[in-house]
Parts: sequence; C-alpha cells; structure tokens
Amino acid sequence: MSDLPIGARRLSPSAKAGLSLFARYATILGLAAMIVVFSLLSPEAFPTFNNFINVLNQASLAMIIAGGLTLAVIVGELDLSIGYAASLHGVLVTGLIVHDKLPIGLAIAIVLGLGALVGLVNGLIVTKLRVNSVIATLGVGTIIVGLSFAYSAGVPIVAGVPEGFLQLALGRWLFGIPNPIIVMAVVMAALWALVERTAIGQEIQAVGGNPIAARLAGIGVDRIKILGFVISGVCAALTGTLLASRLGSGTTSAADSYLLTAFAAVFLGSATLRDGEFHVLGTFIGTLIIVFGFNGLNIFGAPTFSQYVFQGAILIVAVALSSLGRMMAES
Amino acid sequence: MNDSANRAETLGSPPFLSVRSVSKSYGGAEALRGVSLSVSSGEVHGLVGANGAGKSTLIRILAGLTQPDGGDILVDGRRVVADSPQVAGRLGMSFIHQELAFVPGMTVLENIMLGMPKKTRLGVVDWRAIAKDVAPIAGRVGVRAPLDANAKGLSTAENWLVNITRALVLRARLIVMDEPTAALSAAEAERLFSIIRDLRRSGVAVLYVSHRLDEILELCQRVTVFRDGRSVAELAGTELTRQAIVEAIVGGVVDAPAKRTSARVSGEAALSVRALGRAPRVKAVSFDLRKGEVLGLGGLVGAGRTELARLLFGADRPQTGSMTLEGKPFAPRSPADAVKSGLGFVPEERRVEGLILTKSLAFNLSLANLQSIVFHRTAPFISGARRRTLAERAIRDLAIRTASAEMPVGRLSGGNQQKVVIARWLASKRKVLILDEPTRGVDVGARAEIHRLIRDLAAEGMAVLVISSEPEELPDMCDRALVMAEGRIVGELAGAALTRERIIAASYAGAVERQEA
Repeated sequence: MSDLPIGARRLSPSAKAGLSLFARYATILGLAAMIVVFSLLSPEAFPTFNNFINVLNQASLAMIIAGGLTLAVIVGELDLSIGYAASLHGVLVTGLIVHDKLPIGLAIAIVLGLGALVGLVNGLIVTKLRVNSVIATLGVGTIIVGLSFAYSAGVPIVAGVPEGFLQLALGRWLFGIPNPIIVMAVVMAALWALVERTAIGQEIQAVGGNPIAARLAGIGVDRIKILGFVISGVCAALTGTLLASRLGSGTTSAADSYLLTAFAAVFLGSATLRDGEFHVLGTFIGTLIIVFGFNGLNIFGAPTFSQYVFQGAILIVAVALSSLGRMMAES
Repeated sequence: MNDSANRAETLGSPPFLSVRSVSKSYGGAEALRGVSLSVSSGEVHGLVGANGAGKSTLIRILAGLTQPDGGDILVDGRRVVADSPQVAGRLGMSFIHQELAFVPGMTVLENIMLGMPKKTRLGVVDWRAIAKDVAPIAGRVGVRAPLDANAKGLSTAENWLVNITRALVLRARLIVMDEPTAALSAAEAERLFSIIRDLRRSGVAVLYVSHRLDEILELCQRVTVFRDGRSVAELAGTELTRQAIVEAIVGGVVDAPAKRTSARVSGEAALSVRALGRAPRVKAVSFDLRKGEVLGLGGLVGAGRTELARLLFGADRPQTGSMTLEGKPFAPRSPADAVKSGLGFVPEERRVEGLILTKSLAFNLSLANLQSIVFHRTAPFISGARRRTLAERAIRDLAIRTASAEMPVGRLSGGNQQKVVIARWLASKRKVLILDEPTRGVDVGARAEIHRLIRDLAAEGMAVLVISSEPEELPDMCDRALVMAEGRIVGELAGAALTRERIIAASYAGAVERQEA
C-alpha cells in the first residue's frame, strides 16, 4: 500500500522536476552571477586571468581540506577536527624541518602519515567506541590544540624556514601554474575517481546512503567509515603543510578557520547537481563560490566584520539548500 | 454474514461514509479515475487491489492529506470537505497506518493521548484522571501493557491495540486500517479480528485494507475492489469468494499455483546449525538446511525467527552452539564475513534494511556484486557497461517493472523493490539464501512471482531459508517447514503434513511435534 512515502505526490511531477532542476543548478547559477556582478563592478581588477589564478590558488588549500571532509560526510559522519589538525600539522612540518633538520620530503611524509593517524583515531572512536562523530572529533580536535601548544608553546616557528619549503606553495613548477592549484587538482581528481568510479567508492556511497542496508549487503561499514576519516585526516594534513609553506611559518591556530569554510563548501556542494547528496564535484563548486565571494569582498575593501557575516550566512544557506534537496529527493 | 452490512441503509438512513466518483491525478498520472464506495456503521468493509490500484490515494484523501480533483465525499449523507487531518478527525474518521508512529520515550497513555486535549488540574495535566477514563477503553480493546509502561517495549501487535484505543478515545465512528496484520503473528491477528468484530457490534465502521484475502473473507461483510484507479467490483453475500476477489483484482482468471515437488532436494546439508543460542530470543536451535531445498521457518512474530536469521548471517554473534557450511566450521563475525562465505540475506524491512532508497536500481543491485563489475581486481574501477548488463539482466530475469536501471529504487513499488533486494544475491551464486518475510506488503501478482523465483533458485541447487508469518504461504513454497515458538524449534513439517493448519497449531502449541510425510 504505502509504497510511496507521505508527501510523495503533493507536488505535481512537472513542478517537482522544475524545482529540483532549479535547486540543482542554483549554486552554479549563483557562482556565475557572482562572477558577472563582480566583473561589472570591478572590470579592471576582478575578471582578469591573474585574479582568477590568484583566486584558484587561494581556493586550493580550502579545496583540499573540504575534499577530504567530503569523504567523511559521504560516509555519514562529521569531522570537526580538521581545522585544528591542519594547524597542528603546519606547526609540526615546520618544526620537523627547522628544528629537527629533516629533509623536506621526509617531513611532509611524516606529517601526512600523522594526518592518517588522526583520521584513524577519529574513525576508531566513532566506530568501535560508538561515540557520536561530532563529539569524537570535537574531543580529538581539542586534544590536538593541546598537542600543538605542547609542541610549540604557541610561539610561531618563523626563523630558519628553508627556501625549498617555501617554494612548495609559492613555486610554479608546471606550466607556470602555482603549485597548490596542481596539488588541489590532483587531489580532487583522485577523490572524485575514488568515490564515483571505484568499487570501494560504491561502498562509501552505500554506507552513507543507508548503513544498515549496506551492512546487510555484506559491506564492512566500520572499515569504510574509518577510511572516510583517514582520507579527511590526510587532506587536513596536506592543507596544513601547504599553509605553513605559504605563510613561511608554523603557527598554532593558523588553519582553524578552514573548518567553517570546508563545512560551508561541502554543504553547498551537496545542493549542487544532486539532491542533497554529498559529492566531490559539488564540493569543488561549493569551495569556488565561497572563495570567489571572499575575493569579491576583499577587492571592494569590505570591512572585516562583513567577511564573518558572509561566512556564517553562507554556512546556513548551504545547509538549508542541502536539506531542501534531500527532502525533495526523498519525496 | 451479511446481515448488518446494509442495516443502516435498509432503515433509510444514509451510510456513515459515501465516496462518489472521486478522481485524482498527479500531474499527468491518474491515480483515481472515479471510485465509489460506501461504509455503513457496524460494517467491516474490505478494500483490496494490487499495489498502485489507488487504495493509498483514497485513504490519503479521506485523511485530509490531499484533495480530490472531482467527486463527492459524504459523511452521514452530507457533503463534506476534509481539507486537513484535523477536519477528518472531527468528522469521526480515524486512521491506523501500516507503519505505526509512536513516541518511544513516552508512556502508553501519553501515546494514546498524543495531540489530544487533556484534562488538567490547576493547569497541570491530570494523568490520573485521564487514565481513569482511558483504562476501560484500553481494557475493552485488550491492551495488556500497563498504561504507564514505556511505549518503547511494545510489540507491533500491542501498538495496533494502542492505536485502536486512541481511535476510540477520539470517538471515531470509522476506523481505517491499512494492512493491519502485515506485522502481526497469526495469534495476534486473531486477537485483532475479535476486537474488530467487537468494534463492529458496537456500531463502529471499519474500512479494512489488506492484501490477505483470508482475512478479508473472514472479517468483511462487503468488499470493494480497486483496479487501476477504478472501483471495479463490490462483492457481498454469496458473490464474496476468494476466486471473485482475485479475478476482480487481476481483471482475469487466475490459475492455482502449481504445487511443488521435493524430488530434487539432495540429502547433503548446506548449512548445519547445532544448539545455536543467543539470549533472550534464540534457544538451542538445531537444524540442517539442505542443498536444493526451500526450508520454511514459521511461527509467531517474536518467536525468535528474525533473531535466528541474524545469527546465521553474522549480524549478531551466537552465545552458544556452532554452525557448519558445507561441512566446514562457519562462525561469521559480520555480515561481510557471511557474504564472503557464500550466504545472502534478504532482510525483513526492505526500505530500512535492504535498500538505499535514493540510489538507483543498478546501484542497489551492484552492492553485493562489486567484484563482478570492476575492470580488474587489481584496479577496481567500476565498468559502466558491466554494471548496466548486470542490472538489465536482473530486470529481465525477475520481470522488475521500472522505467530504467537508473531509476531511484525508492520510486519502485513494494514488490519490485523486494525483487531488487533478492536479485542482488543472484548474480553471484550463493550457497545459502535467507529471506525474511519476502512477500510482506507485496501485491498478489508480485507475490506469486517471488514464490516462483524462490522455487527456481532452489531448483538450481541453492539452499533457501524462508521466514514467513503467513502460514498459508509456507506450504505453497517450501519443501519442509520448521516452526519456532519462544526461541525454540517446536515443530518440523514436511510433505502432506505441511499444511497451514498444522503450522498454526504448532505455532501455538509450543510443544515439540515432529511429523514427516
């Protein structure tokens, strides 16, 4: 009898299709509209190749951390530790290079490994101890802040950062394109392929869609959730490393604000092209919207307070759009 | 049987509810194309029809959840417009749905009174006074749980009783029941029937929607049949037969299902279970499931059958006993383990446990077959072509009715959703397939197809274990049936002894009974 859920037929199919179409493309239209408006308002500063490259470059760090977060939210969990983790890893990588005189490559490899470890810890706490992921990652994040202070006493590591490490974020090793853009493109393409095109990606999507059904279909749900956290952790470490290189210092709390940006991007992304479903391409577009927004505000010299207003408002709008999309998909 | 059916009408007063030529379309799709039916006070009126025939739409209209495009609804002979659930309630109509809603943290009494105005004393809700009013009604309906018990512990059956109590407290004159026995055991259903008969005697009208024709024939004085959005037959008195109902539902003559033979069952055990137990629902269960066999597992809801299935599939771990799969020790630590060993499981609640509703049919099908649709094991990228082939083959083999393989599975009908869950396990040959209530809430046609499918799988050598709460279903489908009661296997029936009556008797007896053909 009630095979269709309540509300399924309340809207006419054509109205529903129209609304859904609008919702799916609303974010992309928003991005386009933003670019057009900024271009008209500031024809000499905004719509230039250099500015676009600059925006993409700025967007890259947020994009990588948001891309990682996307994996955590696809498997149905939230990872609030990413901002703090990125800050800690930025401090650690600088410390390893400056104080411990480790080769740059090795230092980065260690930090990425530690990022995976943080993700593993998050994942184990959530799946084995059955702690809600908001609480688990908030707790782990706070512990990370503590570790970061313990390591650096809150004093930025500035002196003695080698040029080689700075070149990581500032260099243009391929086709004159800033390195962070290249790294971001590789990471996002890999994440996209993983989720959309591999067998494990299907399991990731299934676990996010319905963990009970996924488990009874023979999928190792805990394993997949842990994987989501690990990827989120590695991406946070990568963002932290690139940020330290860009700033030329390891600073406690430098990357904390990426947490909100990443969440806003991920939720905006879920309302993009699909009905409230988290996906990597969506996160890509979501991040662009936010970073272009910030860039526009900067160009027009908008006061600092307005950037916070923008960030908070866009987070709420993003989540609202996302749940609206999901509501329509379920009806 | 039919004495009171038209009592009200013969006395010259109009029936409580009349629906006249009601139509409703959604966009281009006509859900109702002019349906009519009437329900008199003191009548149990059956409403049957295949999934998608328009029963749900009519119920939604009556409940004030949606508005008809045309036609009239009359209550006590007066035209009414029920444009909200509140108005429908004031008109004296109460609705009890398939999937019952209640608040687990609240008491039974609080659930009964949910959303109703309550007696207060000094501005504080006076639960004691309310309980005094409600207790006799609850007692009449047969609610055994104390009113101050937490509703969380209630069985589905008790929930129905709580909801009926609620309807009576609301002074409902018509209670619409949508698939009331879908989740009830035979004993609980019997209790519900006697309560429905009591309701009828006290002048309450009941609109009884069900796929189960046995119940319809037992309870109803009149039956309206919907087909493709039309009311195609109203049967009463001597016309009211199973044959007539089925023909009206299907729109043609139906052959009796072929009775199966058990010749091809080999003696070899696929799955052997010895003294398996997990407190409190499964106690020292032993049996052999043989290759090529359809083994039924009957019994009352709550007898421990689903819990047993979960042990077999590794969803829970047994506390005692052991299993062997094709002679080798088998102790799955998770469903993933069980799948690796060659088991498949079709869970009871397909929407909650079986499917990812927002994902496509192809996606849902491929979940247990990911290794078969990747390009190569070492580079596990999904091949779109292989995924499509897998889906198209399942759609063809199981006659799944869908616009395409990319249709979100949540939009399919119940029977087709069930086929998707079953089909998931067919592509990769399973040694053992466990199905928990595979035909619940599925229409007559799809049910027959699922039965045939299960028999075909066994014919290919698969060992199939089917849990069903419908005693009439097991003899049609199974070579042999076990009956569980209170966590133990209390009966084994095969051959001529495998009948509906014996299954029911064993479910209640609780005594050990073993009968072979």
